[in-house]
Amino acid sequence: MHTEAHLNVGEATIKLLEQYGVDTVFGIPGVHTLEFCRGLNKSSIHHVQARNEQGAGFMADGYARASGKPGVALVISGPGVTNALTAVGQAYADSIPMLLLSADAASYTLGKGLGCLHEVPSLTDTTAPLTAFSAIAMNAEEVPLLLARAFSVFSSERPRPVHIAIPTDVLEMPVETDWEVPELPMRPAPTAKKIERACELLRNARQPMICVGGGACLAGDAITKVAERLGAAVIGSINGKGIVPDTHPLSLSAGTVRREVQQYLQQADVVLAVGTELSEVDSFEETLEIPGKIIRIDIDTRKMNDIYPSEVAIIGGARASCEAIANRLGEVKARAETVTEVARIRREFRTRLDAGQLRHCKVLDVLREALPDETIIMADVCQLVYTGTFAFDVGKPRLWNYPGGYCTLGSGLPDAIGARLARPETPVVTFAGDGGFMFTVQELVTGAELGLALPIILWNNEGLKQIQDDMILREIELVGVTGINPDFIALAQACGCHALRIDSAEGLVEAINTAFNADRPTVIEVRERDPWLN
Amino acid sequence: MVDKRVKTCGEALVELLQAYGIEVVFGIPGVHTVELYRGLPNTRLRHITPRHEQGAGFMADGYARVTGKPAACFIISGPGMTNIITAMAQAYSDSVPMLVISSVNNSHELSLGQGRLHELPSQRELVAGVSVFSHTVARPDELDQVLARAFAVFDSARPGPVHIELPLDVITAPATFVGAGAIGKRYRPGPSRAAIADAVALLKAAERPFIVLGGGAQNAANEARRLVERLGVRTALTVNAKGVLARGHPLSLGSRLPQKPVLDAIQAADMVLAIGTELGETDTLLFDDQLRINGQVIRVDIEPEQTTRNVLPSMSICADAALTMQALYDALADFNPFDHRAVVAELRRASDGLAPAAYRAHGRFLDLVAETLPDVIIVGDSTQPVYGGNLFYETAGPRRYFNSSTGYGTLGYGLPAALGAKLALADTPVVSLIGDGGLQFTLAELATAVELELAVPILVWNNKGYGEIKRYMVDRDIPTIGVDIYTPDFIAVARGFGCLATTVSTRAEFIEALQDADSASKPTLIDIPEELALDW
Ligand SMILES: Cc1ncc(C[n+]2csc(CCOP(=O)(O)OP(=O)(O)O)c2C)c(N)n1
Ligand SMILES: Cc1ncc(C[n+]2csc(CCOP(=O)(O)OP(=O)(O)O)c2C)c(N)n1
Ligand SMILES: [Mg+2]
Repeated sequence: MHTEAHLNVGEATIKLLEQYGVDTVFGIPGVHTLEFCRGLNKSSIHHVQARNEQGAGFMADGYARASGKPGVALVISGPGVTNALTAVGQAYADSIPMLLLSADAASYTLGKGLGCLHEVPSLTDTTAPLTAFSAIAMNAEEVPLLLARAFSVFSSERPRPVHIAIPTDVLEMPVETDWEVPELPMRPAPTAKKIERACELLRNARQPMICVGGGACLAGDAITKVAERLGAAVIGSINGKGIVPDTHPLSLSAGTVRREVQQYLQQADVVLAVGTELSEVDSFEETLEIPGKIIRIDIDTRKMNDIYPSEVAIIGGARASCEAIANRLGEVKARAETVTEVARIRREFRTRLDAGQLRHCKVLDVLREALPDETIIMADVCQLVYTGTFAFDVGKPRLWNYPGGYCTLGSGLPDAIGARLARPETPVVTFAGDGGFMFTVQELVTGAELGLALPIILWNNEGLKQIQDDMILREIELVGVTGINPDFIALAQACGCHALRIDSAEGLVEAINTAFNADRPTVIEVRERDPWLN
Repeated sequence: MVDKRVKTCGEALVELLQAYGIEVVFGIPGVHTVELYRGLPNTRLRHITPRHEQGAGFMADGYARVTGKPAACFIISGPGMTNIITAMAQAYSDSVPMLVISSVNNSHELSLGQGRLHELPSQRELVAGVSVFSHTVARPDELDQVLARAFAVFDSARPGPVHIELPLDVITAPATFVGAGAIGKRYRPGPSRAAIADAVALLKAAERPFIVLGGGAQNAANEARRLVERLGVRTALTVNAKGVLARGHPLSLGSRLPQKPVLDAIQAADMVLAIGTELGETDTLLFDDQLRINGQVIRVDIEPEQTTRNVLPSMSICADAALTMQALYDALADFNPFDHRAVVAELRRASDGLAPAAYRAHGRFLDLVAETLPDVIIVGDSTQPVYGGNLFYETAGPRRYFNSSTGYGTLGYGLPAALGAKLALADTPVVSLIGDGGLQFTLAELATAVELELAVPILVWNNKGYGEIKRYMVDRDIPTIGVDIYTPDFIAVARGFGCLATTVSTRAEFIEALQDADSASKPTLIDIPEELALDW
């Protein structure tokens, strides 16, 4: 039981997290996490109360995307963890650092199948496939070791979620020692030999191109320099959008879904791929045709020879590696035609659009005008956002976010809440479809409780339109894709938010400006079939 | 593109589901599952779209608990599966049949970690822990075999969720080798003659016997009543066995298992006959006292491992509860019965006297619901009146009271599970009982309720926060944190969804609102301020 002399494990864990620089945790308390709560009361850490642990997980994800620091979710065992799994899966797919800290059933019950409250056969087996590692602390002194391991993953490996479970009886154990933060490792530097081989390929390239992904977020300056010196076009993945500003004359934005970009990529004789999986979710193509030689820079060794085997495989942090390339490249002549070619392709982005995409572009253009440059967009999966990936420009990495990899629904709003808390000075908005928004609609209440100024652009096309389109394309009778929507305005207001429906571009701009100065979130409903989008 | 002249596995699947008697499919279609929908319009299967896959799972759970039959869920790879896991775990803990069919990435891409859409390193491993089994269909000709295996579980084993995943390429593959139709009738295992003889000997030797019936006896209400009456022995029911002995049965202690007088009686018993129960803590542990058994124990369960959990048996019978109770009844024809009626009355009195006032008030609240809507099915969440109801509420038959406070103990179950139950039994009153905190976990399913025009009264037990957790914090001397949450105006929320909604402040208003809600043409949210409802 608890004594005053010593901290117990729950309290000491929170104190140690504080030393690791954690300032916010997202969660929902329960009987199993009470001893963490005891610690939270004594710490400076802000506990944010979500309405479902899925929301807590997404908030931690959004916090991490916006701050670059690991997001922390604190949940009960069993349902708390299983509710958070989708958010963990999203962080896994998009390489986001996240710590899922949970209770577990008492250690002496584990694995026995006694039917205890919140029991699953093995909590950590459930999270293992979605994490860098998941582990149970079976005694007090394991906790600082596991946390050290987690933060070492975050500081040096391909970031991925980590799950640490502490059984209720361990949470109550007294802690005899002072827990401290150890020296943490850094990302590995590339070897000079590999850099030299990469430079040689690039120097002699006829038409080099650069693909950047979320792993290159900190390497923007070096990549821009390399691109300019080579005259290489730059293609971002969804998570790589903005690393080289979308408005840069060499940038093809995150345009891999566009056929003209895919064809252009085929012309490259050397492709420098930095921190990217070259995944199908960025192109909607099962495999891209890349005849050129590929130089891959990644900290994940397993990425070197996947679908696209590398000619030069560089294991190293993206920034250090790209800086090394910039330094060792030497005399090169920048390919002159690229800027014209890129400009032509960028113009083509606005042609061959279907009726829906044309409407998306109208809205996106108004939004781009209205939103300050530094605005963080935490979007949900919906058609407006698919189009925005190539038709909405951002100037920095991590300003355009949607969970392209795991492609779940409902992450937009809670992710935006997390981002807003991580960067209180920065404007944040979310874009969401009417279907996806319903997945986590209850987090409106959290946003209202926190008094966050947060415009929520609700793209209402009356149903699961993407799937309707897929069914029509495949000649499948529409089933289950045309639901009845609530009155979003009344609903949002009842949840403590502001809400309005707009019917003009001016209305949209005004609504956004008002929303940024409000004391609560504002749902701004934009209807696809409204005449102003004709 | 799919060649439409050749039947695909996706099309064969829905035909097989129909052949096995599946009636309802819950799912949110996605790119990965669209091909499961190609054949659906040609079947009698009814498709319901919830607002989150967790809702799909809870609805299938509610459907199964009132019918005893599984419903199917069609779930997309990755996020769909991680969304439904909590519901599968709740069903796993409470032995509820559920058939979860999902897509998974192409079979030639599994495990390669190429960052495909919705990809997981191993979806099957993720789900395996909360399923009776989880199977990846590697080739079309496995399809009918794996469905047969699923229904072998549902019909003859301890039920639970089964997960079958079809890679994208298998869904669209020609179904040339898939057998049509369901396998023949499946019978459940009965007890051996030797087992019955041994059990009878133990029962005959007993002087202070005690019977505990669990959820495994839900399909054996007649057999249970006859056996209990032939023995004349006091009997306690777990929450999931409520109604196996009907309300008012003179030998039934109801579900007072976790109360001291009952636990004392079990400890003092020289023979405990436990049928279809795990004897788990969510049924036996509520106050300070724990279940202890000193006498002989006979355990009967369809699952062999269950007979060893929490309490080791003196002898065990691995067999169907109904068949075993029938066999025991037959073999006990000459039994000289006990008469525990007075003992039962006394234990009930003693238990009720000891219970905290709030629990008794909550029990009375549920009685009021049942008096207002006879035959009602009450589907609960983990909220204050449910804990009282678990102890005191009694039903006329099985499958009329269940909630998520047992077993997995999750939140947000009470609304969608009630919708699933109402879908199955349109003419029976079904009430959802859920706390203000719990409702927010699955709030969006109000939209599903409106869309389906289900006349479900949704009773929101409103104490503006996580009452249960707050109570624990106070008990443990922890300054409260994260429990006094901002509570939205539920009346306005419900109306925003298109529900009817009303708040009630007196007993009479409550009764009227409940009756109106049950006969309405859509769902009604009834907001019940806790402080007012305690003495109804
Ligand atoms: C958890 C989850 N369930 C299902 C899907 C499949 N899915 C992908 S897009 C989509 C439609 C979303 O509808 P909405 O948010 O209204 O956007 P729209 O396509 O209509 O623009 C669906 C159901 C998914 N991605 N994630
Ligand atoms: C998914 C999940 N998260 C957290 C908990 C912990 N928990 C148990 S009861 C409870 C309070 C629920 O509040 P409410 O629904 O308002 O019911 P009340 O106890 O106030 O009647 C909480 C948070 C849980 N059981 N499941
Ligand atoms: Mg939509």
